[in-house]
Amino acid sequence: MGWYAGKLLSDLGADVIKVEPPGGDPSRGRAPFWQGRAGRETSLRFWYFNAGKRSVTVDLEQHDGRWLFTELVKTADIVLESWTAAERGHHEAVGLDVDRLLADQPALVWVSITGFGLDGPKSGWQVTDLIAQAASGIATLAGYPDGSPMRIGGNQAYIAAGISAAQGAMLALLQAEATGSGQRVETSIQEAMSICQETAHLQWDFQGTSRERIGEQHRIPGIGTYQTRDGYIYSMVGIPGFGAPWSELIRWMEEEGQAEDLTDPKYAETFDNFNLRIFLIEEELAKLAPILERAQAVLSKFYAGKTSLELYEQGQGRRLLIGQVATPADIGNSQHLAAREWWLELDQPTTLGAEPAHLRLPGPPYRLSETPAAIDRPAPMIGEHHQAIWVDEVGISAEDLITFAGEGAI
Amino acid sequence: MTDSTNSQPLAGVRVADFSWFGAGPIAGRTLADFGADVVRVESEARVDGLRLGQPQKPGKSGYNVCAYFNNFNAGKRSLLLNMSAEGAREVAMRLIASSDIFLSNLTPRVISRWGLTYEDLCEIKPDIIAAYQPMQGLWGPHRDFLGFGAVLTPTTGISHLSGEPERRPVGVGTNYPDYVVNPGHTVVAILAALRHRRRTGQGQRVELAQIESVAATMGPALLDYTANGVNQIRRGNRSSWQCPHGIYRCRDDANGRERWIAIAISDDVQWDALCTTAEAASFPADERFGTLLSRRRHEDELNAMISDWTATSEASDLAERLQSAGVAASVVHDAEDMCEHEEHLAERGFYAYLDHPETGISLYDGPIVKLHETPGGLSAPAPLFGEHTFEVATERLGYSADEVAELTAAGVLS
Repeated sequence: MGWYAGKLLSDLGADVIKVEPPGGDPSRGRAPFWQGRAGRETSLRFWYFNAGKRSVTVDLEQHDGRWLFTELVKTADIVLESWTAAERGHHEAVGLDVDRLLADQPALVWVSITGFGLDGPKSGWQVTDLIAQAASGIATLAGYPDGSPMRIGGNQAYIAAGISAAQGAMLALLQAEATGSGQRVETSIQEAMSICQETAHLQWDFQGTSRERIGEQHRIPGIGTYQTRDGYIYSMVGIPGFGAPWSELIRWMEEEGQAEDLTDPKYAETFDNFNLRIFLIEEELAKLAPILERAQAVLSKFYAGKTSLELYEQGQGRRLLIGQVATPADIGNSQHLAAREWWLELDQPTTLGAEPAHLRLPGPPYRLSETPAAIDRPAPMIGEHHQAIWVDEVGISAEDLITFAGEGAI
Repeated sequence: MTDSTNSQPLAGVRVADFSWFGAGPIAGRTLADFGADVVRVESEARVDGLRLGQPQKPGKSGYNVCAYFNNFNAGKRSLLLNMSAEGAREVAMRLIASSDIFLSNLTPRVISRWGLTYEDLCEIKPDIIAAYQPMQGLWGPHRDFLGFGAVLTPTTGISHLSGEPERRPVGVGTNYPDYVVNPGHTVVAILAALRHRRRTGQGQRVELAQIESVAATMGPALLDYTANGVNQIRRGNRSSWQCPHGIYRCRDDANGRERWIAIAISDDVQWDALCTTAEAASFPADERFGTLLSRRRHEDELNAMISDWTATSEASDLAERLQSAGVAASVVHDAEDMCEHEEHLAERGFYAYLDHPETGISLYDGPIVKLHETPGGLSAPAPLFGEHTFEVATERLGYSADEVAELTAAGVLS
């Protein structure tokens, strides 16, 4: 859950050293895997979030391991950790005291990524992405109205955690460099993710009602998820100020000989001036029902006859607000992203053979004109950079390193 | 400025915020939360849709009573500048010349029309940090495609990967990427650019193509396609390596409100703890569920049995009991929980309640991250529409009162 914060800083040029327990971060075992083959050095998930970083292993359960760790911290501007509450308590108990480290190294920025924060009644609670999405008021808004609350895909609470922590790290780093004073930075995933409630909490504050799951929302023709010939689109046509009006949709259908009776001016008139309040007035709604149903039927048939990409590109060409419900393949094959050279080509060593995996890696989230992201190395193998980091940078002698390796501290 | 703002990381940093709706203004708010002086540029000719959105304070109307807008603009100053009026650009340039950071999520078309490209800005402020958030980027075949958060969720794969596999993609119920992903990435990039400028004196352009910013959060699924040719599909609330892993219905509360609990079992220790907590239920003794693999094979049956068990339980009591036993669990909070019943958030003081001249004491999100020594926070509620036009024009832009009157008469300022 802490990987993404380090990735964001690494993308910006920071030298990020991944400190792993002996045997490697257990999360190296998470799918998906290169060629579907599970292993510690084959996780695509790990590779994506850790490209550009270096790796050392150290056993924080050993005295010497903890000493090595504190020596490494002395070379750092920022420490990022996502220890569980139990781990944090344990580390403090055996002598890895964050407050003392901060006192010894006044400019240090120490970032703790936590599920529920460092204090408060739930600070000891366990967290996962699902739990954070539930606890932050997000899952209740996602999902089908007739089904259960739903998790948003892509571990989005962990992503929010990483983005929150990276902002905190940068803010505290700027402050430390300006004043010499570092500090503790704390991300609560629950709090960070809760900002995505949009207006739900604000509505409660003003009106005392909770927002409900709206699902696909198929009440107004032109607004909602529609089946296409090969998938789905999201159509958002007919809201004043948001792209071309409904009459443009009718024109398009007419040009393709599929408008049927929607050329009757009453349709354009109704939907170009559509007032959402109609849904609050039963009588008005009943009067309009035949028009709504007819428009929905003709439009659904039109959308179903074209591919998602055709509808997306041709619709957008007409300034109609239509989005493809893109699959990973659609994004992978996007001409737009290819033309923008968003993807990064990288050779990733694996334990599956001598040949590295040639990866086409999703690019960074931002582009800085003078300091562009430079992911210049693949994700590290477990402990790959021991020699360079412990000996050359931290200053441990090669002889001592052999001792530490022998006792399993590294 | 007060002492408390001087001690903030961004004290003295000036921001010209030409953004609107969600993704831009939230980035500006985070900068304001940590001490920056953020001037939000608005106009009567082009009112931010969120000022007219929902929820509005009951019984009130006008530009100042929508919490959707207010929440994202707290702590800023509002300057009314009609960019379509003759002479407006000169005022805009004066604002930018007095700023460290320019922020905008206007479309590339409008950026060009208003003469606010990075090159334009560099002419009057060579070391400006100019952040743009175009939907598809500043260039590329889809550059002029329209988009809002509601369309971005589908086009970046989030919708496809959310929902039940046998049902249609469900979307996420909000304009999700607007709130943390896009503003958060923007702030990280701006802060990095600020650091670079402090070290070298060099400004730069930050381009956050929203489609790239959101797609970057879906990295593992995208890489599974580019590396393996696997086109992933949504899997509901299930996980490939955790089981059970789901959201289960609990007993409705006394008012008939649906209550749900999320439970995520990541290892044998947690599974055993769940079984101990649920000893009266039917699944603990069922030998089909002894290993992760067999639980995954019988996940439908297991979920049905867990639902039978949770259906008679009170959600928050059950979450407390499970967490005490070492199981990752939480009530699926709704807005009422978040605002009224989540004592944890209240004790941490996450939500801020600020007194706004038109909406009274109102709820605002706290800062997205907590810095222990310079905690930031909201210095003021949202600005009224044009509340600071005179103040900003005279103090920051250096116009005399007479000049402000002339610009106002000319329809430039209001």
